[in-house]
Amino acid sequence: MSIDPYYLQQLAIGLSQGVIYALMAIGFTLIFGVLNVVNFAHGEIYTLGAFVGLLVIATFAPPLVVVLLLVAAVGALFGVGLERIAFKPFRRFSDEASLKSRAMRESTLMSSLAVSIVVREALEIGFGSQMQTMPFEAMINKPIALGPVTIVTGDVIIFAVAVVMLVALQWLLTRTRVGLAIRAVSANPLGAKYVGIDTDRTIVTTFAVGSMMGAAAGLLVGLYYGSIFPAMGFVPGIKAFVAMVMGGLSSIPGAVICALLLGLSEGLATTFVSSNWADMVAYGFLVVTLIFFPQGLFGAGRERV
Amino acid sequence: MSDLRRLPLVPLALVVVVFGAVPWVLTLFGKGYFFQVADLILIFVLLSASLHLVTGVAGLLHLGHAAFYGIGAYVAALMGTELKLGFLWGLPAGGLAAAVLALIVALPTMRLVSIYFAVATLAIGQMIHTVLLNWVAVTKGPNGVMLFSGIRLFDIPVKGPLAVYFVVAVVVALSIVAIHRLGHSYYGNALRSLREDDQCADAMGVDTVRLKIEVFTLSAFFAGLAGGLWAYTTGYVSPQDFNFSNSILILAMVVVGGLGSLPGAIVGAVLLILLPEVLRGFGDLRNVIVGLVMFGSILFLPKGLIGEVSALALVRRHFVRPKGEVAGREVGW
Repeated sequence: MSIDPYYLQQLAIGLSQGVIYALMAIGFTLIFGVLNVVNFAHGEIYTLGAFVGLLVIATFAPPLVVVLLLVAAVGALFGVGLERIAFKPFRRFSDEASLKSRAMRESTLMSSLAVSIVVREALEIGFGSQMQTMPFEAMINKPIALGPVTIVTGDVIIFAVAVVMLVALQWLLTRTRVGLAIRAVSANPLGAKYVGIDTDRTIVTTFAVGSMMGAAAGLLVGLYYGSIFPAMGFVPGIKAFVAMVMGGLSSIPGAVICALLLGLSEGLATTFVSSNWADMVAYGFLVVTLIFFPQGLFGAGRERV
Repeated sequence: MSDLRRLPLVPLALVVVVFGAVPWVLTLFGKGYFFQVADLILIFVLLSASLHLVTGVAGLLHLGHAAFYGIGAYVAALMGTELKLGFLWGLPAGGLAAAVLALIVALPTMRLVSIYFAVATLAIGQMIHTVLLNWVAVTKGPNGVMLFSGIRLFDIPVKGPLAVYFVVAVVVALSIVAIHRLGHSYYGNALRSLREDDQCADAMGVDTVRLKIEVFTLSAFFAGLAGGLWAYTTGYVSPQDFNFSNSILILAMVVVGGLGSLPGAIVGAVLLILLPEVLRGFGDLRNVIVGLVMFGSILFLPKGLIGEVSALALVRRHFVRPKGEVAGREVGW
């Protein structure tokens, strides 16, 4: 008995969706792991990445690799700017109580949210709220037949970029001094300061790296679907958030696996139920995870959840 | 002097403003549109005050409040269109439906703390929104529900924007008084102890899980009432009025006004609804300005427009009866 190629095709679609969520979740989790605050503006970094990509392609149509590197660089700049505007002003006090205080966490949550509103509305003024189409030649959707299943070049490229990012990030975190500093700040900000780590600079670096990945993800998704719009970052942002929580909040490989799982199950839900209800799967997963595995599927032990 | 102090001057002034000055000025302008904005402000005052109870007083970051508002709106609207039950049935039913649903979802999720709780409420809010959007057989899906019947009180039709405004104002004012009594009492102090340190409160004999479930349910009840008011004032409910951005808007009102401060929550709601209307002349720029105001108030007024400490002093001075004595012991909040 063989499986109907239709289902294989749906599985492939779900998997590529999962890889897109994973791209987004990596940066999100990295920033959460260090600062322990949710960065609501990550979705806007993703949108900005796509729009910068559009501008770059529209002006001098360079090859994809160049666009990707340019967008990643601009994304890193946006990340640094975001940190300066929305997070730095709220780190006025560095004693342990204020680092852990709810007030600080909530004010950065609201400030990143305010920044994301301003960015989204400004983009809508600049580009209009409707879809912008990417130039056709630059799109990455040339079909590739793979036995009974057809995938497009974008699937391969996005998968490759995700793997490269994940490996590079693991290398950065475990093999370099910068990564060591990031891990130290994530484990204990005050302790890191005591042993001479420049925590401010480490946090800025984390934002730069995380936003670089977010912007690259936005560009790739824009090229994959061929259309971008100012509110495009919202849904992937929520899905990345879900993947992060399912993965245990600070585990990047966990978040990636959960993002893939999420994409796959949404693909299956689209096949067997309907695409409208597919969102329920993600939120249902989230609630079930929180109730039965409150530390996430891959999370380290935490004191209380 | 002491007799003068006993007169509740500030509450009286507020009543005069809400039931006298505002409708008078609005009638002078004579446009139905201004009354709609006034109704909207009152509804969001109620939403913001109800979220204040959960997020400000009890310290539980709630990211799905708009969903319970939506449940109230849909129940009121559907009771009006499908069952032909009017305002007096629909409004409390909307509140109760939201409260029952909140109780059901609260039972398993209330054991979670901090960010985990916030994420759970986010997911629940999104699930409710997805159901409203896709359960086409009942909610009419993205088309929304039209409600033509208007408000009737005991078979007397309430006609005209002024009368509708008064109905909304009475419901909101009574709810605010109830929320004020809940928040500024021994019960409210118990809720504040959850926010400060729930493990410590637990150790001292406060039933934290029960209190959290109660306050979550109560807050959903008031959100449901606000939803019923929305359904009857606009005559149209659709899922996009109850999405995540609205939850965040309500949260922003509470934070901008000052976490833990009821006057702050009210001022925050008035500000964030009025501001986009006042800035209508700026066209597309207005939402950017709203975002900037939000950002500025978080940056420069980290305690909110009316911080909790000054808000409590204000409430104690003007809104609470003087202390009494029971069996030689001073009581009163």
